[in-house]
Amino acid sequence: MGLDILFKIAGVGILVSVFHTALKQAGKEDMAHLCTLAGFTIVLLWVVQLLGKLFNTVQDVFKLF
Amino acid sequence: MEIIQIIGIGFIVTLLILIIKQQRPEIAVQLSLALATIIFLMVLGKINVVLNLFRDMAAKANISAMYLNTILKIIGIAYVTEFGAQVCRDAGEGAVAGKIEFAGKVLVMVMAIPIIALVLDTIVRLIP
Repeated sequence: MGLDILFKIAGVGILVSVFHTALKQAGKEDMAHLCTLAGFTIVLLWVVQLLGKLFNTVQDVFKLF
Repeated sequence: MEIIQIIGIGFIVTLLILIIKQQRPEIAVQLSLALATIIFLMVLGKINVVLNLFRDMAAKANISAMYLNTILKIIGIAYVTEFGAQVCRDAGEGAVAGKIEFAGKVLVMVMAIPIIALVLDTIVRLIP
C-alpha cells in the first residue's frame, strides 16, 4: 500500500539533483534553483496528502476531538 | 510477517536517503517523513483492532467510557507528538522538536485534568 510514493519521491530527488547539476554547468543558475524549488514543491504536495491521511486515521483510531 | 516487509522498506529507503542526502537534503527529509507515515499507517490498523478489544472489555466490565477514552486520547497524542518530534530531530532541528514535545506534554496534562479533579474530589470526600 502506497509504497510507490517512496520510489516516486526518491526518483524526483535524483532527477532534480541531476537537472540542478546540468543547469548549473550550462550557466543557468536561476533556472537550476527554480528546478529545485519545483521538485521540492511536488514532493511536498505528496507528503502533505500522506500526512493528512495519517492524521485522519489517528483521529479515527484514538477518537481524538 | 509484515515486519519483514517493513524492515525491507526501511533498508531500501535508508539507501535511497544516503544517495539523495548529499545533493538534496530537503528531499531526503521528505523521503524519511513519507516512510515514517507509511509505516505508521501500516501499524495503526493493528492498533485499531487491539483498541476495539479494549473498548469491548471495558464495556463488559462496566467501566465508564470517559476513563478509557481519556487514556486513548492521551496515548494518541503521545504517539503523534513523538512522531512529529522525531521527524524534526532527524532533520537536525532539535529546538523545534523540543517545542513540539512541550506542546504535547501540555495537551496531555489538559486531557488528564478531569480525572485528576475526580480523584481529588474523592479524596476530599473520604476525609471527614
